[in-house]
Amino acid sequence: MLTPEYLTQQIFNGIVFGAMYALLALGMTVIYGILRLIHFAHGALITVGAFCFYLFFMVFGLPFPAAIALIIAVGALMGVVLDVVAYKKAVGGPEVSMLITSLGFYIFIENLMKLIVTPQPYAFHTPEYLDKIYSMPMLTFRTIDIFIIVISVAIMVFFQLFVKKTRMGTAMRATSESGEAARMLGININRIISISFILASAIAAITGFMLGAKYGQIAYNMGFMAGVKAFVAIVIGGVGSIPGAMLGGFILGILEMFSVAFLPPGYAAYRDGIVFFILIIILIVKPSGIFGQREVES
Amino acid sequence: MRFFNTVFSRLDKRILAVVLVAALFVCLWIANVILSKYIIFIISLIGVYIVASESLNLTNGYTGLFSLGHAGFMAVGAYTSALLTFPVKSRDIFVIARLPAILGGPEAQWPFFPALIMGGIFAAVLAAVVGLPVLRLKGHYLAVASLGLMVLVTALAMNLRDLTRGSIGINSIPTYTNIWWAYIAVLITVYVVWRVVHSSIGRAMKAIREDEVAAKVQGINPLKYKLLSFTIGAFFAGIAGGLYAHLSGAIRPYAFSFNLTFQIVIMVVLGGQGTIAGPVAGAIIITVLRYVLKPLEEALQIYGLVELVYASLLIATMLRKPEGIMGARRVVRKMETSIPTEK
Amino acid sequence: MLNVRDISVYYGVIPAVRDLSLSVERGQLATIVGANGAGKTTTLKAIMGTLLPKRGKIEYKGADVTEFPADRRAGMGIALIPEGRQIFARLTVKENLLLGAYHRRDKDGVKKDQAWIYDLFPVLQERETQLAGTLSGGEQQMLALGRGLMSHPELLLLDEPSLGLAPIIVSDIYKVINEINKSGITILLVEQNINMAMKVADYAYIMETGMLRSCGSPEEVMNRESIMKAYLGE
Repeated sequence: MLTPEYLTQQIFNGIVFGAMYALLALGMTVIYGILRLIHFAHGALITVGAFCFYLFFMVFGLPFPAAIALIIAVGALMGVVLDVVAYKKAVGGPEVSMLITSLGFYIFIENLMKLIVTPQPYAFHTPEYLDKIYSMPMLTFRTIDIFIIVISVAIMVFFQLFVKKTRMGTAMRATSESGEAARMLGININRIISISFILASAIAAITGFMLGAKYGQIAYNMGFMAGVKAFVAIVIGGVGSIPGAMLGGFILGILEMFSVAFLPPGYAAYRDGIVFFILIIILIVKPSGIFGQREVES
Repeated sequence: MRFFNTVFSRLDKRILAVVLVAALFVCLWIANVILSKYIIFIISLIGVYIVASESLNLTNGYTGLFSLGHAGFMAVGAYTSALLTFPVKSRDIFVIARLPAILGGPEAQWPFFPALIMGGIFAAVLAAVVGLPVLRLKGHYLAVASLGLMVLVTALAMNLRDLTRGSIGINSIPTYTNIWWAYIAVLITVYVVWRVVHSSIGRAMKAIREDEVAAKVQGINPLKYKLLSFTIGAFFAGIAGGLYAHLSGAIRPYAFSFNLTFQIVIMVVLGGQGTIAGPVAGAIIITVLRYVLKPLEEALQIYGLVELVYASLLIATMLRKPEGIMGARRVVRKMETSIPTEK
Repeated sequence: MLNVRDISVYYGVIPAVRDLSLSVERGQLATIVGANGAGKTTTLKAIMGTLLPKRGKIEYKGADVTEFPADRRAGMGIALIPEGRQIFARLTVKENLLLGAYHRRDKDGVKKDQAWIYDLFPVLQERETQLAGTLSGGEQQMLALGRGLMSHPELLLLDEPSLGLAPIIVSDIYKVINEINKSGITILLVEQNINMAMKVADYAYIMETGMLRSCGSPEEVMNRESIMKAYLGE
């Protein structure tokens, strides 16, 4: 059972899922860095992204690139909405309040989706060229897997460049360290926050498409576990660190696949539980994660 | 003069409390006689939810933690209690394991009350084990860790088929819970929470909620009180779970999902975090809403309507009146004059 | 240039500053001294705009800036070097400095200022690519000053520049502060270290428990017995 082929396949799967988790973790970390808030509603944007793609590609029949561009736009728009409606009002209160409000928004959006699309899962189709299967001696994969990995890495690279090289990106890094100091330098914090939301939400929307493509089906509640797993990825990599979030995502993906691989069959339902088990272990052993930084101790 | 008033009013309050309790039981008795079984079921259910929400209030409202795991603790309590009290003669038919020797042996079935307590104890132990590492960390870690705990518990319930019958769940649980048991539990829970809150322990918890650093400076060990609060909350959640199991007669892993936790969180927030009456009000409103809206949801095929209403209520409460219905306006914006600052 | 009129600044319900009035003329080096908790930092924050006063008015260059947020005031030429530096530890020295010029459009002016600052603080140029968090306390103070200067301010607010620094570094910093003032930048300096402050200042304000206690030229003020009491605290 534990042949080299099997292991390689599992590692590969782990990388694919890891790429998606890494993207989600990235978005969440960006917002966390600036607002010190775990943005629960982020998961909902995954669902919205996936269903929007379904709408644009399968229902309206738009070409693939157009559909992708549109869901990015929708994601960005939703990010702005969330920013204005949810967070602008809640900022400044006790942290727990923000968490609760964030949670409330997630539940609202999830159930709004449930209302619109009904609880039935939908079969998710991607363009045929993404479905092509490649069989190699050690590995079998589809084009979509490569697509996911390539696009994820591209987004992450782009993001790192943006944050390191551009004026706005540097301002974002500064704001996540100290909003007050940034403000005194003439940086408009509100605009930085909005941009963070737009970026993170657009990324979440694309990730929604990827998840749908990988699983082959989408449902109104697909964002929930994905969002929470993103948080676990952040903890693994170290809260507050962008490279940590991305690394954490990949590690989580591989760990998850490994544990599923090593478990006796029939225990697949444990998959989500295992992720949390990993979380608790990390919290016990090294709560600050790999690139752990500040704000771990309460 | 003031001393006299204080003594008098304290006496007054006790008399008031006794009178209220007596009135409550009279009402319940009348209700039991004249109302339909369905309504009585709902009233009992409200009682169970009050136990759950009051206990969550202790953790979330009074200590300022953000626990999302309540459904997990209820699950522990429910399954424990159900498995302990399951009638011996039916165990084979329903493929329920017989009890091991330490728990009384293969011919044993536990009476209701001890089984409930056992459920609570298991839940509390679980809380202590998880809480010890996690409560040292910042708020959102607890949120996600407790959520994870709930997922883990549900996953275990679904997969330990020999013990829990997996996703089929356990049926034909003896329906011991009636309106009396439910409200006795309510009274005990409210009393315990009331006593804790008004003791030095409660004051420590509130201090931690307000400003943990300041509390530490005053010599309060946050971990100890957070752990205490979390564990007590979990204990009563376990009791609530057990009560629920014996009220509805059947439990399945899906019943203890995030939706349940969320409902209880809303009860606490809507009713008023940090007050004793709040969760009671919240439990009543939320439960009644559910039974009013559910038929509507099914008739109009608007799935998710109930949760949408819940979420809207939560958001509205947090943005407009964060102290809840019963709450006093204690949420003062920290820096009245400042633009929101960091950290 | 700066006119603060009867401001009161609250933390929640507690007044940190009450009915404070002061003014600073263009080119002056004024200082606010007082014991811990006197409200000096709060005053600077109110002038910068990171805190908004509950009552009173703040006028800068003739305009009423009382309601303006900090980033807008930064654009008008006010810079605050906060207590504890608050440099961006995970950014490099160069990135910190360039962020100081964030709101500026004049690329040449920025280059010139950067050269000037490297002139004032050669060590910053040496450590250009290092992460700011790895600098020593004195170097971080220089970086904080440099960053503030990069915004080409007309009014520079300094909050306890000597805090936590060795005496040698402190006198170096103060030499630079003097130089900056001579170059035409108005300075409002908050200090607990009275001696240094009085040496460089043209005008002094003494604060105690949120209110103005006395003001005047350094000599006048030092001669008043009350200054000793204010410094040692009642």
